[in-house]
Amino acid sequence: MTAEEGHSDDRDRGAAEKATLSLESLVLESPDIKAFMVELAIVAASRLSRPGNTIHSGVTVLRHRKPQAMAASDAAAMALDELQNGFGEGPCLTALRQGTTVLVPDLTAETRWGPYVRAAIAHGVSSILAVPLDLSGEADAVLNLYSGRSNGFASEGIATAETFARQAATSLRLILRISQLSEARSDLSAAMQSRTVIDMAVGAIMAQNRCDRDTAFSILTRASSTRNIKLREVAATVITSISGEQWITAHFDE
Amino acid sequence: MNADWTNGPDQLSEADEQRRGAARRFRDAQVPLIKLWTYYYGLGGDADELSLDAYLNEALHLPAAQVGLITTAMTELTAAEDE
Repeated sequence: MTAEEGHSDDRDRGAAEKATLSLESLVLESPDIKAFMVELAIVAASRLSRPGNTIHSGVTVLRHRKPQAMAASDAAAMALDELQNGFGEGPCLTALRQGTTVLVPDLTAETRWGPYVRAAIAHGVSSILAVPLDLSGEADAVLNLYSGRSNGFASEGIATAETFARQAATSLRLILRISQLSEARSDLSAAMQSRTVIDMAVGAIMAQNRCDRDTAFSILTRASSTRNIKLREVAATVITSISGEQWITAHFDE
Repeated sequence: MNADWTNGPDQLSEADEQRRGAARRFRDAQVPLIKLWTYYYGLGGDADELSLDAYLNEALHLPAAQVGLITTAMTELTAAEDE
């Protein structure tokens, strides 16, 4: 990405590069995915809006096979996303399921998704553009764009939206990966704490009962399942009853 | 790890049955393998992730104590997810 590449007849790419840079910083600055999605919706709306044609933008994510409105540039877009998810059908959900861009240039001429289209018109929407975000199997998401004007999305507007969605998807894949890793890391750290307490209790039971490790484990497991208490909590009780210690923590470098 | 711990065909088929049940529960729970392994490790489990994967795909037998911990891990994890 050198300075010479910023060619004058390559304006689209220049703009695209700028968008990539700002999206990547969003990934770094967002405390979580939801915040990232909100920022994404706001940036998408402001980049595609033109004087006299304000674009509202929302992101719907498929979670456990159910569509969920996750973020939006404003309350109006959020309401429209939720409306569509409530009906269970609409252009954005079709885009989400098919993985292809869906354009509705004029809602009044649209014959599909009857109930939703009528409700959207009542909300003042005239055209809709839905662009799926390809997250390569990590999740399914769609960027929903609403305009109050019919033909609110010109062909270059559609191309811009698709380029934007592609770049956003790349950033989203990264943020999903990061959040998966940080979840795995905190799971592992919890496992270290739990294992320390359980190993200690197993040792104590072995000493008290003069039994082997497997037997000590089965004593603990049986106590846990008959009382319906977590194994770790039973182990903590064993330690407390012997030494009076309440908090056992594992020491390791984070 | 799956050496001579069985005492005959009866116990082997019982272990097969138990393993089939564990495999089914794992599939139904839709918990990622790494999450289950981490939890099982936190309970004091000794088998590595690959062995756990093999066990849940009914390709490997594990000692009874490890099976007990896998069962406990699955129960506690799914209870936590349902909350």
